[in-house]
Amino acid sequence: MRRYFFEVLAVALIGGSLFFFKETLDYLARRDYIAALLVMVIGVAVISVGKEMARLALVQRD
Amino acid sequence: MVAELTTERRWKTFADVVAFALGTNVWISIVILPAIFVGALHGGSHIAAAALPFLALLLGLVRRSEAVLLGLFPAAILVPVALQPQMASSYVYGPVRFALVAIGVVAYLFGVSFFTTWHEPPAPRSIRGLSSAQVGPAERWQRRERVYWMLAAMSLIIPTVLIAWVNFDSAIDDYLGEMYPGRVALMTTALTAGAIVLWLGIYHYAFLGVLRPHRTGDRDLVGALSHARSDAKTGKPRPRFYGSVVLALAAMAILILLRHWKA
Repeated sequence: MRRYFFEVLAVALIGGSLFFFKETLDYLARRDYIAALLVMVIGVAVISVGKEMARLALVQRD
Repeated sequence: MVAELTTERRWKTFADVVAFALGTNVWISIVILPAIFVGALHGGSHIAAAALPFLALLLGLVRRSEAVLLGLFPAAILVPVALQPQMASSYVYGPVRFALVAIGVVAYLFGVSFFTTWHEPPAPRSIRGLSSAQVGPAERWQRRERVYWMLAAMSLIIPTVLIAWVNFDSAIDDYLGEMYPGRVALMTTALTAGAIVLWLGIYHYAFLGVLRPHRTGDRDLVGALSHARSDAKTGKPRPRFYGSVVLALAAMAILILLRHWKA
């Protein structure tokens, strides 16, 4: 059960990080470079958290 | 024994000659000819910058160092171009000339990386046919070889297309002319450097990242993998998980503060 929870969480986080990268592009188009950089950092951090969740899901599978 | 030494020495001399010929070709076609074309060979500093790659090439040959030949020499090529950005503009490089220079650079990189590491094995004392050799390579090895060929082809195509796109797309040229009037050559060179950096990043993470796990018998890799396995068995997130959460929260907080500050 925990494995599925971690898998769903990993997919949601990695998929959700795409939203932040899309927002980054929007901010870049509006020439708001500071906001774009910050949102990109959030996106990378969310992907990193998703990666950790995927790793935990793999451990649960073993 | 003496014959083996002679063969080894002959191979090294051959590798030196190949590296010198191809490296000099790259230096002349990227630095000297464009510098003459745009009239940039004036003044001590510019001449010294133009000579710098050639000195790096000679240093690499004397030391027989792959790091110098494949790292320092290409980097030194960029120094005179950085000082005189118009040397790399699309007015200097037409599509045909660009293709010739690209072939020269690929030939240099291939020649140096291949011949400097080539070692002819000594002649066998006896030969015995193996039954498994009659069957041919296993499917997994054929698959692996296909992946290697694909990676090698992409290693040539991606940087060439990126650099050609930056230099010869009229839409990019028009946009730069509109945004940076009078500095098109400088910005084109900056974009070209950006394309090279982007390619090096892609190569490091995507291409070498794929190839690295294929190496076998690497003590560092085996150690890192066993450490990762024992680390994963604890079932707890690593410190980078908490670091990422804190980083995301901090970035969000700064974003909200900036919004309030602007309002």
